[in-house]
Amino acid sequence: MSDTHPSPDRSHEAVHYTIRLRGHLASRWQAWFDGLTLTCDSDGTTLISGPVLDQAALHGLLHKVRDTGLPLVSVVQVDPTWATPNHPTHRATD
Amino acid sequence: MPAPLLDTKLFLPVPRGGVVPRPRLSRRLERGAAAKLMLVSAPAGFGKTTLLAAWLAQGAGRPVAWLSLDEGDNGPETFWTYVIAALRTVVPDIGENELALLASSQPPPIHLLLTTLLNDLSALETDVVLVLDDYHLIESRDVHDSMAYLLDHMPPRLHVVIASRADPAVPLARLRARGELVEVRAAELRFTAQEAAAYLNGEMGLQLTAHDVAALEERTEGWIAALQLAALSMQGRDDAAGFIAGFAGDDRYIVDYLAEEVLQRQSGRVRDFLLHTSLLSRLNGPLCDAVTAQGRGRAMLETLDRGNLFLVPLDDRREWYRYHHLFADVLRARLSDESPDLVRELHRRASEWYGDHGERSEAIRHAVAGEHFDTAADLVELTLPALLRDRQETTLRGWLELLPEEVLRDRPVLSNGYAAALLSTGEVEGVERHLRDAERWLDGAAQSHRVDEPPTRKVVAYDELDRLPAGIAVHRAGLAMARGDPASTVTHARHALTLLPDGDDVGQGAATALLGLASWAGGDLEAAHAAYTDCVACMLRAGHLSDVLGCSITLADLRITQGRLRDAVRTFERALELAREHEGPVLRGTTDMYVGMSALHRERNDLDAARQLLTRCEELGEHNGLPQNRYRFRVAKARLREAEGDLGGALDLLDDAERVYVADFSPDVRPVPALRARTWLRQGRVDDALAWARDRGLSVRDQLSYLREYEHVTLARAHLAGHEAERPEHTLEEATELLRRLLHAAEAGRRNGSVIEILVLLALAARIRGDSVAASTSLERALTLARPEGYVRMFVDEGPPMAALLEAAAERGSNTGYARRLLTALGAARGPAPARQGLVEPLSERELDVLRLLRSELGGPDIARELVVSLSTVRTHTSHIYAKLGVNNRRAAVRRAEELDLIARTPDRRPGPVVTPDE
Repeated sequence: MSDTHPSPDRSHEAVHYTIRLRGHLASRWQAWFDGLTLTCDSDGTTLISGPVLDQAALHGLLHKVRDTGLPLVSVVQVDPTWATPNHPTHRATD
Repeated sequence: MPAPLLDTKLFLPVPRGGVVPRPRLSRRLERGAAAKLMLVSAPAGFGKTTLLAAWLAQGAGRPVAWLSLDEGDNGPETFWTYVIAALRTVVPDIGENELALLASSQPPPIHLLLTTLLNDLSALETDVVLVLDDYHLIESRDVHDSMAYLLDHMPPRLHVVIASRADPAVPLARLRARGELVEVRAAELRFTAQEAAAYLNGEMGLQLTAHDVAALEERTEGWIAALQLAALSMQGRDDAAGFIAGFAGDDRYIVDYLAEEVLQRQSGRVRDFLLHTSLLSRLNGPLCDAVTAQGRGRAMLETLDRGNLFLVPLDDRREWYRYHHLFADVLRARLSDESPDLVRELHRRASEWYGDHGERSEAIRHAVAGEHFDTAADLVELTLPALLRDRQETTLRGWLELLPEEVLRDRPVLSNGYAAALLSTGEVEGVERHLRDAERWLDGAAQSHRVDEPPTRKVVAYDELDRLPAGIAVHRAGLAMARGDPASTVTHARHALTLLPDGDDVGQGAATALLGLASWAGGDLEAAHAAYTDCVACMLRAGHLSDVLGCSITLADLRITQGRLRDAVRTFERALELAREHEGPVLRGTTDMYVGMSALHRERNDLDAARQLLTRCEELGEHNGLPQNRYRFRVAKARLREAEGDLGGALDLLDDAERVYVADFSPDVRPVPALRARTWLRQGRVDDALAWARDRGLSVRDQLSYLREYEHVTLARAHLAGHEAERPEHTLEEATELLRRLLHAAEAGRRNGSVIEILVLLALAARIRGDSVAASTSLERALTLARPEGYVRMFVDEGPPMAALLEAAAERGSNTGYARRLLTALGAARGPAPARQGLVEPLSERELDVLRLLRSELGGPDIARELVVSLSTVRTHTSHIYAKLGVNNRRAAVRRAEELDLIARTPDRRPGPVVTPDE
């Protein structure tokens, strides 16, 4: 029996997510959210978007959101090839 | 060596003066204090902790066990250690034994431990509130499951309060449906307009108009942290109204916005201090000095505390503090944006300080957070020997998982440690890879020293380097054993023994145990016994007493298979003597010895003694046993039930035994399903037993091996029964032929225990054939082997056909006396009714135990320790004993008991030599 490094399968291809919060987060929070893009929308919400390594990373991110106390509006998985943060074409995952 | 407990986590926060009274919540909280569970669930900054602290401070005299959880509590052992420590702040004598077990090298399954803890808690006479603050930091499934278990089995006087940012993963819906849950959620926690006014104008001394208060309340939505920050921003400001108007129409993250305001109003020194210390989960003066590289940390903390700047005291000496979580997050976010490089440096300083102050785990945490992986690896490597010695492999594994692969690869000591941690947690995957990583640096480098070592190899624990080649070989042997390859196990273990440095008792013990296991699995019992004997000697030298008890089970099992019951008894006696001499709480594995001893008493038909030992095990609790004891105990009890004639009860216990069976490296030579098939046969369920044999793929023509011997003997029994039940396909000839082959194999392997049973079956088969000569020849041989060892049930369990054979043996042959004794036992198989004690109400077994100890010199607390119960339980027993004996003092009780022959006048008359380790 040979030992091989466990293959991460498809998970090394990060999936893009957008997370919408109520309230504006200043861009200095970008480092706190692991360098994801922060965009404030005119409706008083903030969009956190970018590649997320895997489900565990996504949940870690959601914990950080929880810890700011800002209300969570939506979490959406997006196809990075035809979505921009300002005009996300949503594909709800669940 | 578990990490020392942090008292600060058990500190019940003291509310600051002038807390806003919240009568509307008090009623609900009081209801919560009477419920099983109160859940205070709301996002950060909703004042959960403050609310609970203020409420608990009012209810003077109510016993409160407080625990502030943190990320480090994500393992059931740590979690429950802290919960018990918290409970002990209000119920001092609770959970002592459980704490000792949690700190032991291989703690028992948590729910077993909780069972006894809950029993103790159910004796509480006053209500106790257990508060678990910051429960959202718990992510471990195991902890959630054990909490759910606690909530399912809550003692009536205990009340749990959980404060959390997220609903905990316990069955809330069920509790809610039963009305056992009281909830306080964000909607209730928000400040109402009146509360906001009371806070801003009362506690914080602002003079805001009703309009301003309303605007603030609306903008913050009653979010207490935001209101607090707003109040701080406005203190000493003239234009409060302007300030409020300024941010009321702003969408910005309000805490961020206001924290900015507050920070700007501080001096540069204070601001830097706040930012630079924000990454500390606890703060005291010296630690802050180290991290800020400046002095006066303690004075600064006192200033912040006075200024109400988000510090929460963690003790009543004003020494340790933490920041309000939400505020700390805001500070950290700002710091990592403004000066990411400084963050790494601050973590480095914190790591260094903790390292210097002996807090390895915090030091490692900060080193990893600051991405100083080499430093972290150094720290782990230096702790590794102690961790492995104390069997803290799970902790070690957790740390190693934090380190990047490339850092680990160049560190042979860590790679080998990783292999050890994996193997000990039952994992095979990755072991070989880590061993190869470790080995890479040994080839050609084994003789080199610090000076000419290969440039990329990193070692800090040089002592460990000497043991590395042997360690790698031991782990290879373990890996081979886990993969079912005894031949390679032997090769690697022998190799390890040649490499081990002198005095490495544990290493030597591990290698010899693996040799023993391999010999056992290969059927070489004498070699296995010799190896295990060596292993016991090593473990004794190393002081690993529980391991000695564990090895004793194997040693006795081997002797039983060899038909040497007296040697098996001696093995258990020696182990129990060791356990008796051991100071402190009951040595883990003691109950395993009782179980083993009980089985031997049963075989010798001393069913009373067998029963008493099992009762004693039950009293000691399952958690005091080694991992396989739960299954062994049930098997022993099942066989006892069977001997008592309760076959249905025996089957239930066997099902239970199968459920709790946990595999380890040792071969499963008497599998529970085979035992069950035998019980079926005694019930006449021949078809069920034959179906079992078919499912197991057993056939009378199989090649024989020691590991399947028990199953094959069971198969032969099923065939004999099949023949008797006139199932034509099961011929007597086939069964007899199988038995003959089994006999040869057992004789060749010198397994006299097996030989005796096979001879018994051959005798029974010959009797069915009508061949009385062959029957008596086989039986004579069996009797000759069994007599000196005192076997009884081996014959008695076969019932009437055996009685007929024994009648003949009692007439002639060389074992007439023994045969007559067995016949007597057969005649009285049900056993006489226990003699009456001559009392109106007889004493229970437990009361008799207490009575025996009352005769000794031991005081009440010592008796309680001896029996592993609380002092009040001993007092209860004692008063019952006095009442039943009609006496009113200890001496009179002992005298009366001796007159009634309730306790032996000399210790010799005890049921068995090991029944009472208390003398």
